[in-house]
This record gives sequence, C-alpha cells and structure tokens, in this order.
Amino acid sequence: MKIIALVKYSMDVAELKVDATSCALRMAGVPYRFGDLDKGVVEASVLLKEACGADLEVLSFGPPPALGAMKDLLAMGADEATLVEDPYGGNADGAVVVRVLEAAVRKRGPFDLLVCGFASDDGYSHQIGPRLAERLELPLVSYARALRIEGDLLFADRDLEESLQSVNTPLPAIVSVAEEAFVPRTVTLIQAMKAQKKPNNLLSLEDLGLTSDELDQFSAYFALGETGVVVNRQQHMVKGQDLEEMADRLIGYLVDDQVLVLQGGA
Amino acid sequence: MMPAPIVVWSERPALRVELLGQARRLADKVGAEVHLCLETDEDVSPPESYGVHGADLVYSADTTQQGPVAFLAQVVAGSDPGLVLIGATKTGMEVAPRLAERCGAGYAAWAVGIEIDPANGGVSASCMLYAGSGIAEYRFSRPVTVLSVAQGTFQAWEEDGRVARLQPVVCQEEPHLLTVTGERPKSSSRGRLQEARSVVDVGRGVKSPQDLDLVRSLAELLDAQVGCSRPVSSDRDWFPEWLGLSGAKVKPELCVTIGVSGAVQHVVGIRDSRIIAAVNNDENAAIFAQADVGVVADLNEFLPVLMERLKSKGARPAWL
Repeated sequence: MKIIALVKYSMDVAELKVDATSCALRMAGVPYRFGDLDKGVVEASVLLKEACGADLEVLSFGPPPALGAMKDLLAMGADEATLVEDPYGGNADGAVVVRVLEAAVRKRGPFDLLVCGFASDDGYSHQIGPRLAERLELPLVSYARALRIEGDLLFADRDLEESLQSVNTPLPAIVSVAEEAFVPRTVTLIQAMKAQKKPNNLLSLEDLGLTSDELDQFSAYFALGETGVVVNRQQHMVKGQDLEEMADRLIGYLVDDQVLVLQGGA
Repeated sequence: MMPAPIVVWSERPALRVELLGQARRLADKVGAEVHLCLETDEDVSPPESYGVHGADLVYSADTTQQGPVAFLAQVVAGSDPGLVLIGATKTGMEVAPRLAERCGAGYAAWAVGIEIDPANGGVSASCMLYAGSGIAEYRFSRPVTVLSVAQGTFQAWEEDGRVARLQPVVCQEEPHLLTVTGERPKSSSRGRLQEARSVVDVGRGVKSPQDLDLVRSLAELLDAQVGCSRPVSSDRDWFPEWLGLSGAKVKPELCVTIGVSGAVQHVVGIRDSRIIAAVNNDENAAIFAQADVGVVADLNEFLPVLMERLKSKGARPAWL
C-alpha cells in the first residue's frame, strides 16, 4: 500500500502586513513554512501508515527551499519526499496546479490513497482536493476528521457545517483533512537525524512531461492586482491589576461608542 | 443575441437568495437572465416563488442519488451561462472547483465584487486572498466563470411580480459517490447569529463548559448571540456556529471576543462589526490590532467582575 500526502509550503498569512495608507500588501520578509494544516495532513497519513503498514511519500509543488523544510515531514514518519519546482512563484491558477500535481502523483504512483488539506494555509481556496478528484476520477472524502482503512475500504468522519457524517469508500481514493483534526506530533532528535538520510527528489515540470506553454493554456484569469484589507479600529487598550476599574473603562468606551446606555447615567 | 445567463446554486436557502440578488443586479445591467438550480429534495418552497428573489428560470432536480455537481454540470452544458455563482459553504467550496474542472470553466473563490462587461460579457471579480488579508482583482478569459461567494457578502433581492419559469432536470449518474453510514446533526442557530445586534465570539481561550456558562451569562446581559472561532467548534461539540471565512460572517453593532487569538481567517467573519471589544490574557494577541477596545485579562477573573459592573451600572444595549 502506498499513501501520498500532498502538502504546500505556504506563506504564514498571520505575518502578512498591510500598509495602512497605500493598502499595499507587504510581502517582503513574510516567512514560508509547512504550517499546522499541512503537518496535520502528514500526521493523518502517518497514523494510517502506522495502522496498515503503508509506504508514505510527501509531495509538494513549491520553491526549492521547500525540499529542506520537508525534512521535518520525513522526521514525522514519511518515508520519502518529492518536490516539484514551481516556476510560477506560487501564483498559478488552481487549474494549473492540479495538472502539475496530477502528473506528479501519476509519476510517483501507483498509490492507494492521496491525502491533502481541505485548503491551503495561504491561498485558502479549497481547490486541490476537489479538482484532483475530477482529474483522477477518484472518490473524494472531504473535511475528514477520523480515518481508518479496513481491507480496501476507507472509513472516515466528515466535519460538515450542519453535521458529522460517517462515510466509507473503496480505495484508491482522495482524502482532504479538516482543520485542527490531526494535531502534528513533535519529533525527537533521533527522528530528525534519521530524516536526513531518507530519500528526497527534486523534479521539474520537464521531468513530469509538462511544459509551461502547455500549462499556461489552463490559466483562466489575469490577475490585475492585489491590495490589502485595512480595517481601522480604535485600539484602546485596557490593562492593569484592578479588574473593577478595567471593567468600568471597557463599559465607558462602549457607552462612548453608543453600543451601551447606562440607566440613571451612572 | 441574448447575453449569457447567470446560474446560481447554494444548498443554503439564505445564501441562495443573496446570490440571486447579486445575479439579478448584474443581469439587469447587461440584459441577461438569472437561472437558479434548485434541489427539490432539499427545498420545500415552490420553485416559482424564487421569481420574487430575482430568478427568471428555475431548474429543479432530485439530486439524492447524484449530488449537485452532476446537476450543475448538466445545466451549464445546456444553458451556456457566462457566470455561475456558488454559495461558499463547505459543500459549496467542494462543488465549485469540481464544476469548474468538469466544465473547463475559470474559477476563483471568495468573490466580494463582480462585474460583467456589457460589451463582451467578460467577467471580472474581486476575490478575498490569503485567508482574507487581501483582495485580488481577476479578469477571466473562459466562456464560463465560476465564483464562490460567502454568506453575508451580497444583499438579497425582493420584487413582486416576477414568476419564474420552471424546468425539471433529470440528472445523469455521478460515479464515486461516498457511502454514508451515519449522520450526526449539529444544533444550529446560524439564523439568529446573523441577525443578532450583538455577538459574543468565543475562541480557543474558552476551555471548559464552565467557561462557556460564563460567556452565556455575559451574552444574555448584552442581548447577544454566541458564536465561535473554528477551533472551538470543530474540536468539541459545543457550538457549530463558526464565524470566519468558511463559517458565518456577521455585521452586528457590537462584537465581544473572548479568548480569540485573531487569526485572519476567523477575523474575516467579524471584521464588519461596528464595534469590536476583545478580551484575551495574551497582550500580544493579534486580535487587539483588530479591536476598538482590548482588555488584557483572564476571562475567568474578568467576566464575573464585568457582569457585576454592567448590572450595578444598569448598563443595557443601546437598541433595547
């Protein structure tokens, strides 16, 4: 059995700052990493690997530094890491990205299960799992919280808005994991050292039989520009030791802002 | 030639009429029709009644065996729309990219502004980017563009007199449907949350059911509905009312956050509140930059004192 975990070396959007006057997004210096969502994907995959003895490969489409960062994912328990180098600087249309990933999983397969996040940590557009399911014509178990494999069936709980839904589907299949569903394990020094020796592969589009010209045809939009969202808030801070005084100050601000009124004007 | 129609689908009725409203406004500018895809197994309103919400034509189908993607793909193939609006619920966020992939349509998520060029029917859209930190402007180049739209983005439409035509659709079979063996509903008060004048928004800092009792008492004093950031509600079964990019977006007069850290994908759900007050014991929490008033305090110590002071001052919400 082979599991491929799809992960994204993502921008830490919490570190993204917006210039308050120009509304420009300040991208310089914003760190990239495999965030908790992607580590959750690896955690879910490692748990399945441990339960059914599968081989686990982590696969990413991203910039070259991602290959180094994938050592952390190998330390978590993956057996092999593959990075397809992204010539688009992380800005390709989902239709392009999915065609790269499709070619990559076909090359690195055959596989029994693909695991990805329900969305990427930075783009957050929820596209890859559903698009891959269409491209590969496989069942998709989206927003999964609990997973187990029995024979050639995958069982899962899906975290939907109105319900928790229990489902099963035959393998091969695709799973997208829900946010916070799998807490990534902390790795030991020994695991980190062993990870250094695990195989890793750097592939180009050409290695996958793809060309930029061919892929560009699937790009369905021109990006005309990006701006940051600025919400101007008053940012009064209330701190101190005297809780009663702090409560009164908070109430005072809310009265000034006309959301509270005081009976008798106290 | 009649401009290409705009097709609308959401499984959630409140979101459905918001999408219809925006579709109607766009359609009127370019002289196009609005077509609603309605799953008859999910909705009990008479399909014709969607005329008052802006629909010219309602495609209805029983999709119990097929799911919405097969239905929508069939409608797109048959009616050649220029634009398809999908409600950005969890289900919608799976349906939209699948549909785009199946139909070779352009797709972008989290649209907050949409334009159709009357000269050539070209679609452009402003879409939330980086979990809501930014807005990107896109101009689409495909005959069909699919956009997902979060609830609370656009206004519904109501106008007497329009009666929608009705066209039943029999869907083709969808391969690879999952076998559902159980379904445990979450209790929901989303409707109340979105209409609330004030909201108490609970984050990961609220750790126990006892903390929650405290929050509920505060909410009562403030005439507020209780909502939460994602981690709380997905970890535990306390509340399903998610606020945020993939949950509900609220626009109350007052939003009080308790133990909310301020991750952008959550703040998106509350940032249209008129006034935001935040309580968090971490002075460096990101939420304080997004708040009008920030209180650095432990919620278990502070909330009882706050409630006592609210009572002794006879404080009440301004709208009561």
